[in-house]
Amino acid sequence: MNFTSCPYEKEVRQLMARGQWPDACPRELRTHVSTCRACGELVLVSEAFQQARAESLAAARPVAPAVLLWRAQLRRRNAAVERVGRPLLGAQIFACAVALFAAAGFAGFEARNGVAWLTWSYWHDWFVQLPQAAAAQWDSLSSGSLAGSAWSWMVLVPALATLVLLGGVAVYFATDKP
Amino acid sequence: MAPTDKRTRMSWEFALPHAWAGGSEEAAGAGISDPAMENEAFAGFYERSARPLWAYLARVSADPALADDLMQESYVRFLCAEGAPALARDGEAAARSYLFRIATNLLRDHWRRPRTASIEEIPEEFFAARGQATQTDAQILLEPALRQMKPRERQMLWLAHAEGYSHREIAKVMGLSAASIRLLLFRARRKIAALLRACAADDGRKS
Repeated sequence: MNFTSCPYEKEVRQLMARGQWPDACPRELRTHVSTCRACGELVLVSEAFQQARAESLAAARPVAPAVLLWRAQLRRRNAAVERVGRPLLGAQIFACAVALFAAAGFAGFEARNGVAWLTWSYWHDWFVQLPQAAAAQWDSLSSGSLAGSAWSWMVLVPALATLVLLGGVAVYFATDKP
Repeated sequence: MAPTDKRTRMSWEFALPHAWAGGSEEAAGAGISDPAMENEAFAGFYERSARPLWAYLARVSADPALADDLMQESYVRFLCAEGAPALARDGEAAARSYLFRIATNLLRDHWRRPRTASIEEIPEEFFAARGQATQTDAQILLEPALRQMKPRERQMLWLAHAEGYSHREIAKVMGLSAASIRLLLFRARRKIAALLRACAADDGRKS
């Protein structure tokens, strides 16, 4: 395809843009357009598009600008809320990591001591001995000898359970969007 | 002329206090500094640009319902964009060019999206609007010709011949070089001219 433009194209385009085509343009130019392929195509295409544009402008039913301003405001506000809430993601990750770490530690601790706690008799004995063990623990705490005594599973289990529970609560609040 | 009374002015901002508080001044987009003034400036800009933008979207997409949606989305993005030209500072021509660029990108995104809608999901108004659209002379010739053009060619042709944009302005809107636009537009114009002549000849034979 030959890419050749006519030197009169610019003039024709300007006349069309000013609405002076074809009535208010020189006769020589009209004669030229009727014989020049490039200018003829320009006039044909421009007239079709201008007419289509005029019809479309009349058919357009734009909404009130206040609706768009309102939507834009909402979107900006949501974006601002998201920006503010982004640091909370770090808190969520931290809470998840703590909870996972606690669960892994608990699992490791229990694995070392066997899996006897999975049996019914183990829990039965535990409940039976609970008051005595709690009293003994209380005595050791009140006497200030906790540092000397070994951490028993009776302290560790509730502590870890509480930690996991609090981790879950923290995750819930962190992910709870208004 | 009496000064405008703020209490009687029917502005959306008086109904919605702190309307611009959703973001910082920087994030407000379109260089918004004084909300009340910008509200009026935007309304004026919208009044002058909404119909040409709708015409562009409707003709290029051949879907008036889609044009409605994309037009609203274009303005919302324009208002939210941090890098959008300010009406007061950069002028309306720059703002309009930016707006058309947003609309062009939205159209491109729409065409790239996989089409999964079934015929039942398309509203009746879509077909009604298309039926009405074929009644006018310009559309009888132009619509079939435009349908045979590529989306990018339709966009270029509309911007050049309906909106009267220069090669440089079209290049800015479409994200291409001005030299490429010159060549592509030349080819597209030749193609649609041939199609228009063929449509006119068909129409003449039928009548």
